[in-house]
Amino acid sequence: MTQNKNQLIDILIGNLTNAIVHTILEKSIDKQELVSKYRNEVINSYSIAKRYREKINPIDRCLPTVDLNYIKEKLKTKIKVELCLRINKGYQNINLDLVDIEIDNALKLLNIT
Amino acid sequence: MVNETIGRVSKGTKMDQVYLPKLREGLELGEYVVITSLNNQLTKLKKEKPFLYHIKEIESLKLQIIDKIFSIINKSVKDYNNIIITGSFLEKGFYFNDIDLLIITDEKINEDQIKKDIWGKLGLNGDFLVLDNKSLIHGLNSDPLYSMMLSKCISKKRLIYKIKKEVNYKLLDLHLLKSKTLLDSFEILSGKEKYYLTRNLISIKLFLENKKLSNEIVNHEIEKELKVSVNNIKENIIQSKEFIKNYKIIYNLLFEKIMDG
Repeated sequence: MTQNKNQLIDILIGNLTNAIVHTILEKSIDKQELVSKYRNEVINSYSIAKRYREKINPIDRCLPTVDLNYIKEKLKTKIKVELCLRINKGYQNINLDLVDIEIDNALKLLNIT
Repeated sequence: MVNETIGRVSKGTKMDQVYLPKLREGLELGEYVVITSLNNQLTKLKKEKPFLYHIKEIESLKLQIIDKIFSIINKSVKDYNNIIITGSFLEKGFYFNDIDLLIITDEKINEDQIKKDIWGKLGLNGDFLVLDNKSLIHGLNSDPLYSMMLSKCISKKRLIYKIKKEVNYKLLDLHLLKSKTLLDSFEILSGKEKYYLTRNLISIKLFLENKKLSNEIVNHEIEKELKVSVNNIKENIIQSKEFIKNYKIIYNLLFEKIMDG
């Protein structure tokens, strides 16, 4: 099934949301010596996101500002929803200040910004 | 009757020699003998057999490879509790990409050097996980993937662990999140990746249901719950609509359970 650009961006947002939520949740876990073993899982999530990024033009340059702002806003909303859901259930040590930082890191990594 | 004696190689002018005492049993003049290093003989005598867990049969070549890997790690790591080999290497045939290794030690080890040695001597990639004993026990108690890893393995020393199940909901949440990728990215994932994420999902389900974990049990459950054959998933020839629908039901149920936990 071929996807158009908007569909690809939405799928990319879904993948990045998972990866960033995973990263922030990792940091909230008490047993850090165990958590470091899950680093590879985040790397895998980013590698899948990268595959979608490589289908969105322009591939070799940053995305246009319109797309970039859309992606950023969607990511912020989705990630905060996921994290707040967990905070309301009693999860502790989840640092919401990391959301913007991790989004910026992810977008740089995928050459979106 | 085995005629043996221990001698030492000493330097000669044109040829080196091994001197033998005149008073000896056997080893007559003119008799042909085999000269071999004492170290090799001692190593053969000291050789411990590895311990196999839930492995019905394994190719003898693989046992030789495992023996060499143990020996490579033995040289690099002075003090370890155990070396465990797990993963696809232990499945029938030679379809593995790398060898999954668990090294249980408190020592800080040079993984890169060991990887280099394994690659150099065997032409194989080693995928390492280095843990101390406490972390391994904690993993076995709370992480379904650790239970899966050790459900079928070969270890240098006997595995003796008393497992007391602890449900760490945060850890399970992290694991479950990984499986969400399949729902978002079904088209782009390979069969192997789909199988890996499905296996992850079902392992969590069985862990929460307090069931025993092994590859066979998980595969059986995948086929029962998702109504597809495991081989079809691996070969990436499944109908997406039905599969995703069933997968989503299981995912949402598990998510609710973990959030409520």
